[in-house]
Amino acid sequence: MMSMLTMLTLAQAADGPTPPTFWMPIGASAHASNVDSMMWWINLIMWAFLVLNTVLTVYFVWKYRHKVGTKFRTDGPDHNGPLELAWTVGPLLICIVLFIFGFKGYLDVRTPPKESYDINVTAYKWGWQFKYPNGAQSDDLVIPAGKPVRLVMRANDVLHSCYIPAFRVKQDLVPGRYTYLWFQSDFPTGMDQPTDGHHLFCTEYCGTGHSNMNRRVYVLPQEQFDAWTTKQANWLDEIPEEELYWKAGPKLYARCVQCHSLDGTKGIGPSWKGIWARVSGGEGSNGAFAGGSTYSGLIGAGKQYATAEDYIRASIYNPGEHLVQGYGNVMPTFKGQINDKGIDALIGMMKKLDEFDPKTGAWLKTPPAAAPTASAN
Amino acid sequence: MTTLPARPAAPTYDTPESDNYLTHDKGFLSWILTLDHKRIGVMYTASVLLSFLVGGIFALLVRTELLTPGRTFIDADTYNHFFTLHGAVMVFLVIIPSIPAALGNFVLPVMLGAKDVAFPRLNLFSYHLWIAGAVCTVVSLVMGSFDTGWTFYTPYSTTTTAGGVIPVIVGVFILGFSSIFTGMNFIVTIHKLRPPGMTWFRMPLFLWALYSTALIQVLATPVLAITLALVAVERIANIGIFNPAMGGDPVLYQHFFWFYSHPAVYIMIVPAMGIISEIIAVHSHRQIFGYRFIAFSSVAIAIFSFLVWGHHMFTSGQSSLMNTLFSAISFSVAIPSAVKVFNWICTLYKGSISLNTPMLYGLAFLILFTIGGLTGLHLATLNTDVHLHDTYFVVAHFHYVMMGSALIAMVGGLHHWWPKMTGRMYNEKLGMIACTLVFIGFNVTFFTQFMLGSHGMPRRYYDYQPEFQIYHVISTIGSYIMAGGFLLTAMYLVQSLVGGKRAPANPWGGATLEWECASPPPYYNFHEAPKVGDPYDFSNLHWDERGEGYVTVKPPAAKA
Repeated sequence: MMSMLTMLTLAQAADGPTPPTFWMPIGASAHASNVDSMMWWINLIMWAFLVLNTVLTVYFVWKYRHKVGTKFRTDGPDHNGPLELAWTVGPLLICIVLFIFGFKGYLDVRTPPKESYDINVTAYKWGWQFKYPNGAQSDDLVIPAGKPVRLVMRANDVLHSCYIPAFRVKQDLVPGRYTYLWFQSDFPTGMDQPTDGHHLFCTEYCGTGHSNMNRRVYVLPQEQFDAWTTKQANWLDEIPEEELYWKAGPKLYARCVQCHSLDGTKGIGPSWKGIWARVSGGEGSNGAFAGGSTYSGLIGAGKQYATAEDYIRASIYNPGEHLVQGYGNVMPTFKGQINDKGIDALIGMMKKLDEFDPKTGAWLKTPPAAAPTASAN
Repeated sequence: MTTLPARPAAPTYDTPESDNYLTHDKGFLSWILTLDHKRIGVMYTASVLLSFLVGGIFALLVRTELLTPGRTFIDADTYNHFFTLHGAVMVFLVIIPSIPAALGNFVLPVMLGAKDVAFPRLNLFSYHLWIAGAVCTVVSLVMGSFDTGWTFYTPYSTTTTAGGVIPVIVGVFILGFSSIFTGMNFIVTIHKLRPPGMTWFRMPLFLWALYSTALIQVLATPVLAITLALVAVERIANIGIFNPAMGGDPVLYQHFFWFYSHPAVYIMIVPAMGIISEIIAVHSHRQIFGYRFIAFSSVAIAIFSFLVWGHHMFTSGQSSLMNTLFSAISFSVAIPSAVKVFNWICTLYKGSISLNTPMLYGLAFLILFTIGGLTGLHLATLNTDVHLHDTYFVVAHFHYVMMGSALIAMVGGLHHWWPKMTGRMYNEKLGMIACTLVFIGFNVTFFTQFMLGSHGMPRRYYDYQPEFQIYHVISTIGSYIMAGGFLLTAMYLVQSLVGGKRAPANPWGGATLEWECASPPPYYNFHEAPKVGDPYDFSNLHWDERGEGYVTVKPPAAKA
């Protein structure tokens, strides 16, 4: 009966998300109606066989009940060829049909359209980071309405899985490889009320915080979405200059930490430990680049980089030009992702590395008394 | 046997044998070092039931914590340990050994009219290995337990700080060998110790099921042993096999693990189907419908079971082509399962049905397995599985199959053979009430979880969204009802040992050989080799009021 209702509501679904039913949650993606009608058919098959089996069982048990002491019946047939054939072939046909329709729906789920909007996703114990093409980042997922969105996903530590029930999609995130997921939702949710948006869950067990990796998925109309990503990408502008290196520095460094350590550990890239001394003519400035030149040979008045700041900015925007001896050309450019103010913040942090936790990059000092007065100004 | 007329003069079952397998020897050592398959079966049964109590307590703790979102009475880490322990204990210590090792050990040789299994010492050794495995699990508890889920997915399992991972892996490794040895023993026993006249197609169907199960045990379990050994090596020696941080591949682990653990599902369900074939036929007192189809479907399921492991990995990052193939093959398991259910239902048709406790469990199985099997369709279908994968829908589905089917059949089989094993009858009325409680409690607990899952509630969650609470509360209430049913069962079964009526040799009117020896059986099972007939020919059985059991009366002209 409830399944019938599901069917009816599906028929009216074109103008908005399908409302929750007895079996399914709200459906807000192109996949949702496919999955829901498939569920409806399989439920129908399930109920049909369940009722048939239960009724036959109960009826036979009642009808052929045995009275103790009476003779056993011997007239029951012990086999029936056509019947056996029927209940072998019948279920087989049902299974073939289910397989085909499930397969078609699955191909849609796994094949993103060419012009999809890509969002990079990193899952870690225990949270998510979503990175947008313009450099914006967020903890909750925000997507444009009416546009195919592809999540390019990786995990930092253990297996995680990205599950958005309202879109009926799910994909594991596997450390060491990229996986993807795509969907399109045409129905904006807004993002102002706590009840706005859809659930996003982690569905691969990952330890203590597994059940608290739930985030929201907000769907915004294109213009609102563009405004949001722009604002999100320019968060730096709202930080006063004097607080820049300790407020913005660690936040930006989070994007460097996988390759560059602060404590001297050799990573995929050189450690930041002692970097400012090296590039500004102090200790380590005779360190070599691939090709034979040294820090002091490249940086300084009249040389390729007039100042150390010039060199740092060039290394972030064009990392392949000069490679420190012993490291490969693997760093991506951050041009367009970190602006001048961001570079200032990172350089500020490099200059005062002793104020930061060498393991996590967190700022060790409590905000100076100057900070509140600065904002009071 | 006795005289030809309808009333045998002096039924042997009225005077319980003074020398049966329970009284043959005395003392602790006579049990723990026995080579008698019946005693080993009884020890297995007791051990498995004790483990079931432990696993059940963990389940109740988990369900109780889930009464409210957030903390109810334990923290997240404790919860993670509890659900892991529930799963690991139930799978490795309870369900896998429950039917083959516990009931199978007792029944198989008697059904064959044999004195014992082919390798009695190996049989005892496999029980001792089970004990060793259980001890390892206890050691793991003492050393900090484990929070990996029973699936031990890497890299979580190789990096978690919980201290009991290595001991429990050693335990599961050892339990695997216990299972392999039981399987080997059964294969050889069925090949070599069938009595003259018992061809393959005159074997009781329970033996077909045990034989199919034994094949899976022997072929699949070594893979689990190797896989878990590799996990231990990675954890101890930091050799990168599954952890990508060391150059390994976590998806490879999942392939290895499910290559065993999917067939393991059939190690649980196929022998359960065998018990149901016996229960339905014996308590309907009629030739089983479609004997060959039931027998061959057991073998078919055993073969298919090796080809479908990838359906556990539809969202794992496995390629779409692989997912498609595994989806197609997974549906094939539905066919022999459906064939079995229809044949059982047709066995009821024009039968002479005695509705007693074992039969009630058999009927409960028919309905629960129908639900468990049909919800497998939702999960084999690719696009619905993507939505339902790793949600409570999956939890509900496999509980319907592993608990609602495998364990219910185990409990039904326990009631079916209890008079034979102990020589005592239990309180039939309480048995029916307890079975009804378990059936209702089970459905309240787990049907709700189908709805939790389809609405998007992920599994292995300590905390959850408030909109799911109503389902969780109903589910937890169901688990308490079920616990009440099992508690009642424990009470009347223990009571029957002390004050139960003496059991006749054939209380239900069964035609397989185990009903021809006394209850409990003598030490050597049969004083003289029994005559093998059709295991499902009930026409010569007659009710005897004085003994309150059935006796075989050969009609004068029936000699072939």
